[in-house]
Amino acid sequence: MLTFAILLPFAAAAALALAPLSASAARATAIATAALALLALVVVWTGFTPGAGFQAVQEAPWIPALGVAWRVGVDGVSLPLALMSGLLFVAAIAWPMERAVNARQYYAWFLFLEGASLGLFLTLDLLIFYVFFDLSLVGMYFLIGRWGHEGAQRAALKFFLYTLAGSLLILLAIIALVLATDPLTFDMRKLIGMQPMAGMDLRAGLILLGFVIGFAIKTPLFPVHTWLPPAHVDAPGPASAILAGVLLKMGVYGLVRIPMQMLRETFATYALALGVVALISILWGSIVAFAQENLKRRIAYTSVNHMGYAVLGVAVAGSAVAGQEAARDLALTGAVVEMVAHGLITGALFLIAGAFWARTQEYDLGHYGGLAAPAPRMMGAMGLASFASLGLPGLAGFVAEVQIFIGAFAVWPWIAAIGLLGLIVTAALFLGMLQRLFFGDRLPALEGLADLTRTESGILAVLLALVVLIGVWPAWLLEMIAASAALTFGGG
Amino acid sequence: MLFALPLFPALAGLALWTAGDGPRLRLGVMAGAAAAGTLLLAALAAARGWSGGFAWGAGLDLHLALTPLSAAVAITVPAVALPVLVFAAAHEDRRGLARLLGLMLIFTGAMLLTVAAADLLTLLIGWEVMGFCSWALIGHHWRDRANMASGRYAFVMTRLGDLGLFLALMATWNRAGSLEYAALGRLEGITLALAAFGVLAAAAAKAGQGPFALWLFRAMDGPSAVSALLHAATMVAAGAYLLARLHPWLASVPGWSLAVIALGLFTALAGGAVAVMQGHAKKLLAGSTSAQLGLMFIAVGAGYPGVAVAHLVTHAAFKAPLFLSAGVAGEAGGTYRLREMGYMRALPWTAGLTALAALALAAVPFMGAAWSKEQIVAAATHESVWLGLFVMLAGALSAAYAMRFWFLAYGPRDAKPQAEPRRPEIAATGALALTCVALGVLWAPPLQDALPLRLPEGKPLEIAGSLAFVALGLVAGLTLARRETAPPPTAADWLGLPALIERGVVRPFERFARLAARTDDDLLDAIPRGAATGARRVARGGRWVWGAMQTDDALLDAIPRSAAAAAHRVARGRNNAGGAMQADRVVLDAAVWQIAAATRALARLGDRRGELLADGLPEGAAGLTGRGGADARRLQTGLSHQYYAIFAIGAGLAILFLITEAF
Repeated sequence: MLTFAILLPFAAAAALALAPLSASAARATAIATAALALLALVVVWTGFTPGAGFQAVQEAPWIPALGVAWRVGVDGVSLPLALMSGLLFVAAIAWPMERAVNARQYYAWFLFLEGASLGLFLTLDLLIFYVFFDLSLVGMYFLIGRWGHEGAQRAALKFFLYTLAGSLLILLAIIALVLATDPLTFDMRKLIGMQPMAGMDLRAGLILLGFVIGFAIKTPLFPVHTWLPPAHVDAPGPASAILAGVLLKMGVYGLVRIPMQMLRETFATYALALGVVALISILWGSIVAFAQENLKRRIAYTSVNHMGYAVLGVAVAGSAVAGQEAARDLALTGAVVEMVAHGLITGALFLIAGAFWARTQEYDLGHYGGLAAPAPRMMGAMGLASFASLGLPGLAGFVAEVQIFIGAFAVWPWIAAIGLLGLIVTAALFLGMLQRLFFGDRLPALEGLADLTRTESGILAVLLALVVLIGVWPAWLLEMIAASAALTFGGG
Repeated sequence: MLFALPLFPALAGLALWTAGDGPRLRLGVMAGAAAAGTLLLAALAAARGWSGGFAWGAGLDLHLALTPLSAAVAITVPAVALPVLVFAAAHEDRRGLARLLGLMLIFTGAMLLTVAAADLLTLLIGWEVMGFCSWALIGHHWRDRANMASGRYAFVMTRLGDLGLFLALMATWNRAGSLEYAALGRLEGITLALAAFGVLAAAAAKAGQGPFALWLFRAMDGPSAVSALLHAATMVAAGAYLLARLHPWLASVPGWSLAVIALGLFTALAGGAVAVMQGHAKKLLAGSTSAQLGLMFIAVGAGYPGVAVAHLVTHAAFKAPLFLSAGVAGEAGGTYRLREMGYMRALPWTAGLTALAALALAAVPFMGAAWSKEQIVAAATHESVWLGLFVMLAGALSAAYAMRFWFLAYGPRDAKPQAEPRRPEIAATGALALTCVALGVLWAPPLQDALPLRLPEGKPLEIAGSLAFVALGLVAGLTLARRETAPPPTAADWLGLPALIERGVVRPFERFARLAARTDDDLLDAIPRGAATGARRVARGGRWVWGAMQTDDALLDAIPRSAAAAAHRVARGRNNAGGAMQADRVVLDAAVWQIAAATRALARLGDRRGELLADGLPEGAAGLTGRGGADARRLQTGLSHQYYAIFAIGAGLAILFLITEAF
């Protein structure tokens, strides 16, 4: 079933690239494909037993001598992420195109990217993980470069090269890690069980460094986050939504799956350093976002802030401080919820930002004002997403952040205490954004601005309904994650 | 089951809001019915001793329970909300009325969640949702951007205090493994101190104590009915309630009670002084709210949380009608400037009812509020005679500003109103004002014995002294009001504190954020740019090597060749670019060409022995760290696709190599 969810989008992408379909037929095919992939994941979910390690595993030998095989499976960390990604892809694909050119290729690249993204979360083979990691860059590169706004080519290439540099570090680290196994294996489950680097100080440290830098670029963490704002600003709205909602998660997911689980001992040694970097990202991301006058840049920098929370949770979970198992469970659960919540919330925010662009070709906040009356649906969706993002209780972001903070406080109280300040700055920056977009006098240039269409509202309604559901009744999601499993026996 | 109590008004409010605007009568009846239903639920819950639990997940649960204290507040909240909603339906603008009433009901629900909470997580949820409601309600007239800015000010400032609640929550879970209030009893030492002072910060922020009093002033930009609800029943009252509720566990922390008393006393006196000077009707009342909440803080600090809650209830009864009548006066004159009011002859009913509420604020016997205030005096004297005297002084200030408010707003000065209150407005104000009088039964000793409260023993001398202070205050207030001619001094704006915070905190932070943003663009982005420069250097070196190698074909192997090819390209690229091209563009260019050339070389080597690739891979990676952007002009020619194709081939070959290596 998981294999189906990965390969179906690839197959459909190939079909779209070759078959001479009309724009509307291409769109319909793409939506149907994404929906089917999501359905496949939901089917897996219905048969999923929380806390029982990797499930729905499929394995087909590929290069036995190297220990490479087509292995897929899910645990409590990857299943929620895959489900969220599957949903977000349906939303992004169904969202109206900003520039209706080359629709067939556009949808083909989206499906290609979906296949790569789902593959990354679902695979249990390190080499295939790496391949999907790189393929996701390719898909996003073309979506930004070809369907973005002015300056998109440059931003796309910067994104591509920056993150590719990171992924090469990861490749080196993967090879070094695997070479320490005998017989060679790329099987994640075995690697987690083996802990191949246990007891090797310098080498393990270097490998960890490679992974951490590589994933930090993708996440992105301070100070290697500067590719993110230009990529977002010039990307079309739906691509931005996927970039923030799915691609950034690959960095944090990678941190959990590889360094935290496979290099447990080494990770614990350096967890505090990672926690400090996360703390800086939390504060820096929010402060820099506060000063942004560009709608998309402002949202983009809040991603640095939110991914900081997620990585803080991961660092706490991997810190291996004795006697704090419950706190570390809580922190990891929080980190996974943060990823899911951020995907839904920021995905929605970027889609709305795209709707603004589609109507005015303008991201400058000074260009807006007083839109609450002509665009109440926009106001409602943006308001809900903003409050979710600033961590209002009853919405998904709070569920994540409160758990991360509780967990972090048990391990490093001062980091948690300083990190709380991020909550204030995000509150100020989101309220300021809403104020400038929707309240005050309406500028004459905005006369006749159309509210969200039925398609747009419908898509946002689904995403935001989940944000509310997770916020009000998080138990179903928290049970699915069952983080203790990932900590105690490494998810396997 | 107890969850019905907060959920019912919240869901009703949501439904009302979603249904949209309609005739006043319909909206008023619906909102009033929802509030009445909530009141009924509260009474039922208190009588039947309901409680509730909900598994939130990850081992955290939400608990609700009512103690006698919280039951009293839980009944007060909807009891005040009911007349205030009726008033709002009759008084406030037609436009957006459904949203206003709906949000006020949600506000009530959030307050009830806070009141019924039996653990810190539930408390935090209700606490922060109240913050959201205050934001939306203060900015209700959103077409004026200043209102929205005030809402934001209130939200951010109260959230600053909420961080204390987060700290308390984290500390409690860490030490006790649970978030129930009872778990606070298992804390000790520094953890307990952290929890205690965290709770104090959160309570002070909501209750408008100390520096947090400022948001209450800004909150006056909201509609009058919102002010009435916010000051009497929700949000502000929550601060004092929280301290009273958690007092049993926190009182033992060294210095905590003293801090509570100090904060309360400072605010009671400063708020009183501000209110005595204020010339804006609602801001006068806002200053008075801070001062009254300060008195409740003193009661908690002195060890009588029950007294604080008693004053909370009597305060709710008089503060709500005062705000409603301020709204009536404000609408009558089109301004909230007290100097321009004076509606005794024009609006006799409202004037009379307001007088009752003002007497309660002044703590004149035998108003209910006077009884609770005398209990606070007794509690304070119990702690220290000096404290008692200061509280009496604060009482004199209350009497002075109550008198001044009434005399200026509804004194005999023949102001001509532009608008007159409708009957429901008078009825709502009247119901609340008469409640103030009815609460006078609290003076009856048998009732006092029946109350589940620990009361301080008041001595007749104290009461006499306190009443003398009140009389002095009344006279002073009347004198001040009669002489009111000049605009109020600048100190009336919270002693200049807002300007200080604006200059000392807000603006420096904005400057810092802008600096950070510039740093982010210029300095941090220099990391990839610097790496690109490094790559150019490598390329240059490669070119030099190539020159040397040309003499010796035998040494010409793949790696220098790839670097050299790159260097060659760079050189060409630079020539093409000419001097006009910006330096960093050249750098970026160089990086791209370098990578392209290196990968191309790798591709050519495909049929050779794999080892070469093994060396080429790290070398290529080194080249690739020369990350950066690209010259858009060049890329638009489609070259990027070509690069990508080469990348893909390179990656494929790398895998191929690994395979051959294995066999």
